[in-house]
Amino acid sequence: MNQYKTHLMVGIISIAAAVILIIVAGKQFRQMHHDEPLFPSQFLTRTIPLSEFNKNLQDTPGDATIYCFEGNEPGGNVLIVGGTHPNEAAGFITAYLIIENLRVQQGTVYVLPRANHSAFTHNDPQEGHPQFFTIVGKTGERRFRYGSRNTNQVDQWPDPEIYLHFPSNQKLAGNETRNLNRAYPGKINGTLTERVAYAIVNFINTEHIDLAFDLHEAAPEYPVVNAIVSAGRSQELASEANIELQFEDLYYSIEPSPYNFHGLSHREWADFTGTYPILLETANPMQGRLRGKSAASLIMTGLDPMYLKAAKLGVLKVPYDNAGIPLNLRVGRHVAAIAKIVDVFSRNYPEHAIIVSGLPTHDDLITLGLGRYF
Amino acid sequence: MVGSFILFAMLFKLPIGISLIIASIAGAFVAGEGVPIRHLVEGSFLYFDPILIIATAMIFMEVIRRSGALGSISRFIIVRMHRRPFWLLFFLTLFIMFPGMITGLSTATVLTTGAIAAPALMLLGIPHVTVAAMIAMSAILGMIAPPINVPAMIIGGGVDMPYIGFELPLMFATFPLAISFNLALGYKYVRNIQIDKMIPKLDTDYFEIYGWRLFLPLLVVIVLMLGVRIFPAVFPNLGVSLIFIIGAIIGLFCGKKMNFWHVSHSAIQEALPVIGILLGIGMFIQIMTLTGVRGLLVIGSLSLPSFWRYVSIAVMVPLFGAVSAYGSASVLGVPFLLAFLGKNEIIVGSAISLIAGLGDLMPPTALAGIFAAQVVKEKNYFKVLKVTLIPAVITALWGILMILSANFLAKFM
Ligand SMILES: [Zn+2]
Repeated sequence: MNQYKTHLMVGIISIAAAVILIIVAGKQFRQMHHDEPLFPSQFLTRTIPLSEFNKNLQDTPGDATIYCFEGNEPGGNVLIVGGTHPNEAAGFITAYLIIENLRVQQGTVYVLPRANHSAFTHNDPQEGHPQFFTIVGKTGERRFRYGSRNTNQVDQWPDPEIYLHFPSNQKLAGNETRNLNRAYPGKINGTLTERVAYAIVNFINTEHIDLAFDLHEAAPEYPVVNAIVSAGRSQELASEANIELQFEDLYYSIEPSPYNFHGLSHREWADFTGTYPILLETANPMQGRLRGKSAASLIMTGLDPMYLKAAKLGVLKVPYDNAGIPLNLRVGRHVAAIAKIVDVFSRNYPEHAIIVSGLPTHDDLITLGLGRYF
Repeated sequence: MVGSFILFAMLFKLPIGISLIIASIAGAFVAGEGVPIRHLVEGSFLYFDPILIIATAMIFMEVIRRSGALGSISRFIIVRMHRRPFWLLFFLTLFIMFPGMITGLSTATVLTTGAIAAPALMLLGIPHVTVAAMIAMSAILGMIAPPINVPAMIIGGGVDMPYIGFELPLMFATFPLAISFNLALGYKYVRNIQIDKMIPKLDTDYFEIYGWRLFLPLLVVIVLMLGVRIFPAVFPNLGVSLIFIIGAIIGLFCGKKMNFWHVSHSAIQEALPVIGILLGIGMFIQIMTLTGVRGLLVIGSLSLPSFWRYVSIAVMVPLFGAVSAYGSASVLGVPFLLAFLGKNEIIVGSAISLIAGLGDLMPPTALAGIFAAQVVKEKNYFKVLKVTLIPAVITALWGILMILSANFLAKFM
């Protein structure tokens, strides 16, 4: 009888502890489910739900908003995709910045800032990432989510042991099933991630997007970083822009899309749509396996003592010193590359020209900071 | 963190899972993070899927054991194969490895074909601890063997290298080792089998009573697991856990009668300590990353001079894989592969995945070792690990050798 009572007590205490954990942690997890408000510039003409391009996304956590900025003069169409990987802050912050500051004179600019909307709602277990980071903007503190590389498992579960890419049947580790940038060209009634990918490809085709950017970041030890990645069709455009960026002291490596690797945006957008795809990478120590403490400030400063050691060991693919790689610099590289490539494209295809203003230059972001634009 | 873990596990004799949780909380607190409940819970979800797989695989195994299927299969193997001991061990090795080759999971391998082969091997006179070691090694090498090797996929994914052309290097990395280990460990016991003395010790042949029905649950599990691999367009992806549950339910009606609640109760009770360890390790890794200890370890391994770097691959990669080869492949495998750029990446990746596989033998989790011990009913899994020590060292050396001669090997593959 006594032993039974002890067991009962242990049981009750364990359940009570579990309930407390569920309430406390659950509240914190729930916070990630609210989209932070964005304040689009007055040049916003309309917003379009992504689900318009795949009905199977309607009322799912995969639906997202496309912000549309139409100039007075007709011209080409540009798409800027951020938040493919919501743990790559410069990717979606650049998209947010463009939405809030863009002015369009000619052509149309579409911005999809939270491409994998579901992936914004959680963090990767094992990474110890912060949930939020703040930028001090014009009207005070703006709090932004720092999400996960992959779709939330609450929305897409379970992962298969092996991810078979559609339609190539390429095999990848099972968790890549939830990686939007391994899901293209997508599947109309596939997994949530495949449905999102399908909608984006369908959007590019339906709206005749001439030029499409996918904004990323990667760990500083990753081989493809500070790079402009392009598939066959966009390679000339990328090289031409790269030469002109060098005159502004901005250095990028030009990487071709690997021909035998499927599911990537630059690869499949080139094969399944008529657009000129460009993927941009900057270096983000918060994503790296070599980093020290995972504090929210690391997202902003990009300065980490372990990466300083790594730089001395020569294992990094980017220059790295006590200045770190702050977020304003990373966003600056993205904005500068986008502006330059749009410029070169408009020059080469005047009938599809896109003319924009209102965006800061790389130097503006370094000297004035990010907060000036939020 | 490590200190407080050892303190609680060794000194206070608390279960390993609980000790890991306490160590995680202590580690976060000392690092000035307070008690980060969100991180603790998030980390504990790292191995949510493996936990489900282990729990359901244990139920499945218990069902096919009690139904009489396992005993009947070992009877069949012994009666048919006792005259050719070499080929017996040869084919049993491939048989045990098979689920690992297809699923990329070492634990599922130990608990399915490992559990089937174990009684036969023990009846043949191989000491039960040696049997567990043979099964653990075969399961790990099966997980690494082609066509499916998840650690290699994870390492490749980290550098955008497609999982193509790994078949030959992975075959080279695994099959010679698996077959020679099992022959070295077991052949001396099975060389002269006196079948007349063995027959009475064997389980009843339930096949005579229930017919093919007896093997239906196994067959269903194998078909469902293979089907989704071979015909992904036709077969729905049920997930390994659901497949095991389906198999277990079918097993209730295909052999000796049993009470499902008793079966699942005892199976879960056996799985519970391991589940606790998985939860604890998940928290532990999350806190290690949060506080920067993980980065310190990775940088430490990378900063070693080149000879010691090889040593550290052999030591750190399995050590970090204490919970599962997957974690180690991701955290250390990718930086190491990048550090060896210039050598044939496919062979280096295969070799690192081989060494990462050894993580499943590394305490405190040592999943392959723990379950192999359970399969042979040995309470102290450290006895099993002792027998696997030499094979594990040879495996690590084999992997290092592959990295050293990667460009040379590449000419033949
Ligand atoms: Zn990315």
